[in-house]
Amino acid sequence: MSRPGFVLEVDERTPSLLVHQGEGFRLEKFPLGTRVIYPPDSLPGIRDLDAAIRHALLNPHGTPPLPELLRPDMKLTIVFDDISLPLPQMRPPDIRGRIIEHVLELAAAAGVDDVELLAANALHRRMTPAELKRAVGDRVFRAFFPKHLRNHDAEDPDGMTHLGLTRHGEDVEINKRAAESDLLVYVNITLTAMSGGPKSVAVGLGSYKSLKHHHNVHTLRHSTSFNDPPNSAMHHSYHRMAKVVEDHVKVFTIETTLNGDNFPEATKFLQKREWEWNLRDQASLLAFKKANELTPLKLRREIWQRNDAPFGVTGIHAGDPKEVHPLTLANVHRQQLTEIDGQADIGVWGLPFLCPYNVNSIMNPILVMSLGLGYFFNLYRNKPIVRQGGVAIFYHPMPNDFHQIHHPSYIDFFEEVLTQTTDQAAIESKFEKQFAEDPWYTHLYRNSYAYHGVHPLYMWYWGAHAMEHLGDVIFVGADRKAAARMGFRSASTLADALEMAKDTVGGSPSITYQHTPPATLADVR
Amino acid sequence: MTFRSDLKQLLAGRDFRGRSRTPRSAVPFRKPSPGLTFRTAWTRSKAARAARRGLHAGVLKPLVWAQTRPTVEGTEYLDGLTGPVIFAANHASHLDAPLILNTLPKNFAGRVAVGAAADYFFTARWRAIVTTLAFNAFPVERFGGSAKQKQASLAPQLLDLGWSLLLFPEASRSQDGWMSPFRIGAAFLAWSRKVPVVPVAMRGTYAAMPRGEWAIIRGRPSLTVRYGRPMLPHEGEAARDFNVRVADAVHRLWAEEELGWYRALRESHAGRIERPSGPRGATWRRLWEATRPIRADRPERIWSSSSR
Repeated sequence: MSRPGFVLEVDERTPSLLVHQGEGFRLEKFPLGTRVIYPPDSLPGIRDLDAAIRHALLNPHGTPPLPELLRPDMKLTIVFDDISLPLPQMRPPDIRGRIIEHVLELAAAAGVDDVELLAANALHRRMTPAELKRAVGDRVFRAFFPKHLRNHDAEDPDGMTHLGLTRHGEDVEINKRAAESDLLVYVNITLTAMSGGPKSVAVGLGSYKSLKHHHNVHTLRHSTSFNDPPNSAMHHSYHRMAKVVEDHVKVFTIETTLNGDNFPEATKFLQKREWEWNLRDQASLLAFKKANELTPLKLRREIWQRNDAPFGVTGIHAGDPKEVHPLTLANVHRQQLTEIDGQADIGVWGLPFLCPYNVNSIMNPILVMSLGLGYFFNLYRNKPIVRQGGVAIFYHPMPNDFHQIHHPSYIDFFEEVLTQTTDQAAIESKFEKQFAEDPWYTHLYRNSYAYHGVHPLYMWYWGAHAMEHLGDVIFVGADRKAAARMGFRSASTLADALEMAKDTVGGSPSITYQHTPPATLADVR
Repeated sequence: MTFRSDLKQLLAGRDFRGRSRTPRSAVPFRKPSPGLTFRTAWTRSKAARAARRGLHAGVLKPLVWAQTRPTVEGTEYLDGLTGPVIFAANHASHLDAPLILNTLPKNFAGRVAVGAAADYFFTARWRAIVTTLAFNAFPVERFGGSAKQKQASLAPQLLDLGWSLLLFPEASRSQDGWMSPFRIGAAFLAWSRKVPVVPVAMRGTYAAMPRGEWAIIRGRPSLTVRYGRPMLPHEGEAARDFNVRVADAVHRLWAEEELGWYRALRESHAGRIERPSGPRGATWRRLWEATRPIRADRPERIWSSSSR
């Protein structure tokens, strides 16, 4: 049986602990008394996945079995999560592909001719053919690409359908093909508690017109946290939109959850508890760290990006999204939730090489900010790990480096907007429309592999709750100029960062280190 | 960071095999073991009693008496006392049990069983055998224990079989030579079984061989073993009140060392004798007073059967 998560209190016996920092990691000796949140051990994956998938499709929650929903003359659209999930990428065969194959088997048996597959990439960059092939598998790719397997295009003037308004007046606009389908089968991977459920269709197939109602500063400041849906204004908006979608389209969702196996066998020490490292783990760590440091940055990135995770699947549930998602969330909590008593003056996070928006790409400073202050800071339920007015310390080198193809609007945002202001509300009112409607960014989003023009602003808003909550943010090991551009301070070591934090939290602060990856969701009591 | 500094950081706190100790907060919770079930009936057999008599007369008593100067008072209170009784004594040293067992009148000496901490003396078989044989010990759960263990306590059975008990109601040896509050167990047993309690106070044993020491200090320190008058619960007296009365009696016997018998009695009646808990202040001052040698010029008793 897997061990549950727990909170370590650093004492004199505690060895140096592992902290991720971009495409690398370091060992850090934390002050005595520091609390360290560890996730539960990786849960065992389902052994017979095919049987589990078949069982889920034939015994769904809240809908008839999938074969009963299929008929020859229907319009069937299969939608799947895009490249931003899972993180890191799953070692092939991808669970999405395996599920899609089963759905297609049933569709073929029912004689369905009109089948389309859509990647739910919202305002994310399009997936390349290679990435699509990896997600859906060779057989599906060969049968459907390029005509019937494609990316969602939120800027296609003829490809979107406005379904109506929510009771709060929010526009619900989704992909036209999906909106006109007799059945929409959504294949999801829920990696954290913020994903899946009402988000899948309303966001994954949405447009800027629709997304701006929840991806804005006000909503994000009131989403405390993203991983605690009942307390997230963003999720409340998702639910309202999902209700409108539900009134127009029949959705059959298939949600999956993964265990915590983030690293392949050779680097398994990265997710072992440090005092349990054996000699082999320690030798591997030293050798890997040294080799990693000697490797040129570009090659290092490539190596880390190719780090396919040997994820195990911990659950597959299908049926009505409203009935399926609670089961999915329970599985996520089983893998990630660790209870901790009380908040700390200082929270510490090691930011890894990957966030949802730099898969096969570069983690630019804005993405570092969104990973730290958006994703990692929000890995809590009930209360933030850090008290109001406390300090967050993140580890990341934060190089001033951008992917020219994937993140063109990020470059302009970093160079032209953040030099003027870092205030989210000001940026929203002054610059959002300009970035969202810029024809060049739209062209690159539709025809190249660029994120939507508004995406860097959304990433900036993503940290709105953290920025409002925290008294100070310090990045250890970061490029000073890049950090300063975004209004953050940088330090060379943890000791320096703690010294700098004294101004805000005093000389003997309580410290909590959230040990992740694998993802750890702190239930702060 | 250099390879050397990485290596240094990695190895800090690890042994030569590269193993780290598990941080305290990461040590997995284990259900407390039910403890060693150890049968003690054999130690009350004729052979074991003979062996114990030999051990005490031939080894323990000569050893203790050669290295200390014990004074025994109050044994006259035990004259004519029959049947099982409970000796309730303060506890500061491993010397306490041998001192009492070797100063009791003959009619009690061979018929006393000693309550010993189950979590200390009975966790290893060898220690349990030695303790049981030497002191006719039986296990006592100090920290609650399960209901099953409590029911299985031998004390009531031993009383029923006519064995007197030597119990230390403080539950543990004193950390600093001063007395802790009495737990109710001994008084409750006496109260429920209508058995007399004999209060016993020992002075100087902490100075002679404190907790953590396994040898008596040099210089033949003076010790006192002082027995009090047997006590029975009054009609309608609650067990808790009886426990307070027993504790007060031991406190008074303790104070006799400085005040003498009659003054201690007067002060006790006036409610001016409290639990000897030592001076307040720095730890060294408490230890200093606790290890002060017993005065040779203490007031003499008006009458005494002391075997000084």
